[in-house]
Amino acid sequence: MAEPTAAGMDLQKVKPSIVEEFVAGAKKGFYIGAEMIAPAMVLAFVLIEFLNITGLMTIVGTAVGPVMAVFGLPGEAIVALVAAFFAKAAGCAAAASLYAQGTITAQQATILFPACVTMGTLIGHFVRIVITSNANKKWHGLLLCIPVIDAAISMWLTRIIIHFF
Amino acid sequence: MLTGQFGQVAKGVFFTGKGGVGAREGFMFALTLFPTLMFALGCINVAESMGALRAAEKLFRPILKPFMGIPGATGLAFVSSFTSSDVGAVMTKGLAEEKMMTDDERTIFVAYQYAGSAVVTNTFGTGAALLPISVLPVGIIIGIIFIVKVIGANIVRFYLKWHATKNRNQGGAVNG
Repeated sequence: MAEPTAAGMDLQKVKPSIVEEFVAGAKKGFYIGAEMIAPAMVLAFVLIEFLNITGLMTIVGTAVGPVMAVFGLPGEAIVALVAAFFAKAAGCAAAASLYAQGTITAQQATILFPACVTMGTLIGHFVRIVITSNANKKWHGLLLCIPVIDAAISMWLTRIIIHFF
Repeated sequence: MLTGQFGQVAKGVFFTGKGGVGAREGFMFALTLFPTLMFALGCINVAESMGALRAAEKLFRPILKPFMGIPGATGLAFVSSFTSSDVGAVMTKGLAEEKMMTDDERTIFVAYQYAGSAVVTNTFGTGAALLPISVLPVGIIIGIIFIVKVIGANIVRFYLKWHATKNRNQGGAVNG
């Protein structure tokens, strides 16, 4: 009699209920917030404040203005893409900070959104995906370029789609 | 929206205050994102446990070959890569080692997985800062990222095809 109960308990352990699944996911969300988002936010807001105080933001903005104009963005938006190169969360946080300061509009922040996710954490994910999957070394250079190309396409695509909303 | 709203501390101002800058404002902004993040990842976890991945696999399996030139056997790795970067990559390695896919197919599949990596988790997780600002619904943002991921995989697909044809022609000329 005791055995089936023990087996039943084991089965319960293997298959958590929906409530347990939700709580586990929400906990994961909390840790992502604490371990990735909050540090990235502080970094991005400090970086942009530093660029503003030193006047470097204006210089960077003017220098890359023509390139970013192709995507319908001001030169200053490059800061978000550079931050995204290191970490997706930092890129998105930088874009949010630029929006909060009025440097970019909500539409322009939206154009940056898929691009920051697509080309973000380029080196970190190179190790986690390209190296882990043991992809042919001959094509590593090509694979490294793909997310950047994808990000450029995503900015054009988002720019077009925004017109329909 | 089920994520609700923070109450106002004063009229028109909620708990993060107004006019903050720098590290402190960054931290306060991050605090506002916790409820959305926890709610979204909770829902993703429930959807996964209810077999959303298996259902998606059935949907995507037949179209992987025409869309990206990768075999249907990659179906589970393909749908797993929506929510996890690592699971997809480890499964890809296993599939190639078991000869379920060729080396070129693996390169194409990796090009798809690498850009944006776990697209659903990352859009809600790392993109949390832009969710309240975006003028497009989050589903469209995920859709855009998915489309460019497929475009990127096809760039690699056709580059590898072109490279192989070029090599064959050159090899033929040398041998001939």
